[in-house]
Amino acid sequence: MTETLQNLYVGFSVALAPSVLIYAFVGCVIGTLVGVLPGVGPLAGISLLLPVSFGLNATSAIVLLAGIYYGAMYGGSTTSILMRIPGEAASVMTCIDGYAMTRNGRAGPALAVAAVGSYVAGTISVVALMFLAPPLASFALRFGPPEYFTLLLLGLLALAYMSGGSMLKALAMAVLGLLFGMIGIDPMTGFSRFSFGLVELGDGIGVVPVAVGLFGLSEILLTAGQATAPEVIKPRLRELLPSRQEWRASLWPIGRGTVLGFLIGIIPGSAHIISSFVSYALERRISKHPQRFGQGAIEGVAGPESANNSATSGAFVPMLALGVPSGPIPAVMMAAMMVHGISPGPLLISQQPELFWGFIASMYVGNVVLLILNLPLVGIFVNLLRIPYPLLYPGILMFCVLGVYAVNGSVVDVGIMTVMGALGYLLRKFDFETAPVVLGLVLAPMMEMSFRQSLSMSSGSYSIFITRPIALALLTVGLALLLSSIITFAMRKADWRQRLGSAVAKQ
Amino acid sequence: MTAISQQHYLTMKNSKATKVLGICHPKVRNHRRGTCPSFFRSDFGARGFFRRVCLTLLIILLLAVTTDSYSQEKYPNRPITIVAPFPPGGVADLTARPVAAAMEKVLKNPVVVVNKTGAAGAVGMASVANSKPDGYNLLMALSSISIIPEADKLFERKPAYTMDQLIPIGLISADPTIFVVSADRPWKSVKEFVDDAKKRPGQISYSSSGVYGTLHMAMEMLSHAGGVSLKHVPYAGAGPALTAILGGHVDTLASGPAVVIPHIKAGKLRPLAGWGAKRVASLPDVPTFKELGYDIEFYIWAGLFAPRGTPEPVMKSIRESVRQAVNTPEFKSAMEKLQTPIAYLDAPEFRKFWDKDAKMLAAAIKRVGKVEIPQAK
Repeated sequence: MTETLQNLYVGFSVALAPSVLIYAFVGCVIGTLVGVLPGVGPLAGISLLLPVSFGLNATSAIVLLAGIYYGAMYGGSTTSILMRIPGEAASVMTCIDGYAMTRNGRAGPALAVAAVGSYVAGTISVVALMFLAPPLASFALRFGPPEYFTLLLLGLLALAYMSGGSMLKALAMAVLGLLFGMIGIDPMTGFSRFSFGLVELGDGIGVVPVAVGLFGLSEILLTAGQATAPEVIKPRLRELLPSRQEWRASLWPIGRGTVLGFLIGIIPGSAHIISSFVSYALERRISKHPQRFGQGAIEGVAGPESANNSATSGAFVPMLALGVPSGPIPAVMMAAMMVHGISPGPLLISQQPELFWGFIASMYVGNVVLLILNLPLVGIFVNLLRIPYPLLYPGILMFCVLGVYAVNGSVVDVGIMTVMGALGYLLRKFDFETAPVVLGLVLAPMMEMSFRQSLSMSSGSYSIFITRPIALALLTVGLALLLSSIITFAMRKADWRQRLGSAVAKQ
Repeated sequence: MTAISQQHYLTMKNSKATKVLGICHPKVRNHRRGTCPSFFRSDFGARGFFRRVCLTLLIILLLAVTTDSYSQEKYPNRPITIVAPFPPGGVADLTARPVAAAMEKVLKNPVVVVNKTGAAGAVGMASVANSKPDGYNLLMALSSISIIPEADKLFERKPAYTMDQLIPIGLISADPTIFVVSADRPWKSVKEFVDDAKKRPGQISYSSSGVYGTLHMAMEMLSHAGGVSLKHVPYAGAGPALTAILGGHVDTLASGPAVVIPHIKAGKLRPLAGWGAKRVASLPDVPTFKELGYDIEFYIWAGLFAPRGTPEPVMKSIRESVRQAVNTPEFKSAMEKLQTPIAYLDAPEFRKFWDKDAKMLAAAIKRVGKVEIPQAK
């Protein structure tokens, strides 16, 4: 403990040195911009700026890139809340209640809660990263394909809580999303599926163009299709901050989101995207008024936003403790270290204490910087809503096209976004929700891969999912959730009959 | 030629061309009617306007063509692009950047790295293969350049590109893959491993960067040479494949030295052999398969390519710049930091190396054939 504190002291002396501090600040600013720009997520932001970091020293480079990573997670909520455009894949869930809050004139509180939730989650998860990294990392590695599959199965259960309307429609949308996820080269055999000879579809269709199309474009089209122009919401200054009641309502969701996000984040792979989905589902499941979700429930913003931020720190656990590239973003950061001649590996902490502890300390500093940066920005961002729609919407459209194109420099992606915009418009006209499509698309490739890897490992025997302890535990949790829902469903049915019965009796 | 035609354009209103082509500047037309041929002068309708537009476009086009032929005489006079068909941080990207930086100094001309990713590199490779062969579009490709067309052939689909669309410039690096096993598995040598694998075919597993990926091919060569059958669990990239063996989900892995050495040092992985012709400098105690009597050789290499049809003088200038670039101290130190030894080969030797490598990979892919999906029990 004292040793850790001593190390942390060393770390802070590295992180607070002006040369490092400035890169933490620059990283946070760039990250916020990257997050705000629709389509460009943290991975694209880091990738684009990786070559720039080659000229810096190793510590500054890592601090800069990490700043972009968690800065993007902060910034991602902004466009989701204000314009229903997910800045990156992890902000999809924030679109639902965040944007509903904006329509209710509560954009300021939503943004403020997202910023504070991100700050709390970021800071707590760095503490966890500092003390728990080595033991957690070896636990995380035990997540092989079977464990991963059962975890994703739990993620699929989140579906049940994503839609306030018809369950049948939600399931139909999830299946559509799963089908979209099947496009591309089959990862196990190399066959091309549904790619129609387009080389660009070989890797499947990206989550970002689909999410921006289904959420952002469809919203713009729907607004344009209204008979009377919607009223411009003029935010009032005293309504920028959440009320006392809103603070109280978001306290626990932030806490739960932090723990959940961190735990999902440490698992190698791309599971961190589902942390916000699972958090939203959890909040809705335990809420006393689940019907408020989708109508502007602040818990639906606080939970997912905290979860996706603490998942960021979680993702660093296997990378720092074991030198394992636990996902696409840590892989890029490890490349940045390698360029500087540092081989990220299990010996990193002992061989490069200054880098490791400087990095940890810079994450504390970065989170403070982001909070200071983002809270005043709430006032500015909210004022974007004053822009009349004929000017605002074409501008947003331009940024959507620009952002989606910039990620891969691919026109095909822009095409996908456009088609998804039209599809989203039709679906919403017919009262289908689009969030399950995105969840399906996120889950399908990962689930398919891990399912078939598991069966490869077991030479085709399904028993692998119940003979491995973690997988079995996750399956049991899933089953329990499913049963409990069925029981409440059945109970409610009974209630309804009783009520009807008593009503008839009264008459 | 360009200089002349530019002057042409400027002095057009007074030259013979004006009279012949019938181009009149509007102002000229008003003041000096007499100099324009009559059939144009009186005609202010749509036809005359259209004709003028057409002619102006023609001249601009001519200018463009002449500027272009001019540029080929003095290569390079605008930024050169090196396409890395994989995302930033990957081997192709990390090799391309120091090469570009060193070439930039030699050529005194900007050299830019562009990441064009997708479909396991096929998107970026196809984009260069189909680009204009003018020496401004180059490709930093990895061993997988020879695999993708073969896999396309196997599945009878329209190939994204063919290998003869690209010509080699120079080999930059070639790292032999290293065969590692999880430290808690019993095998201490290749012989023990092969003997055990013969006893229980299809039970010992290995992870790879993906089906038909480079790491899959290396292991396929080993199982063919050793006469054993192993269980293949493909992952989405070399990083996840490493995670899998560290987590104990698979038994063995073939991967590059830079990737596995930190984990060998930490005692998590045990190296049994290498695929190189020589031992790896940082692993002097690890024998090569050739020493052990298996005739297999495999490298994860990175090399520079140009589209076919690039003019010979331009090729010469690029080759010369690459040759100088790989000998600069900046480049050497950059590659040293990446723990990747430079294995430079100029175009003719690289061509031989590539042909041999491609033949070997093609044979391996044919042996693998279409992957069978294990039947459920």
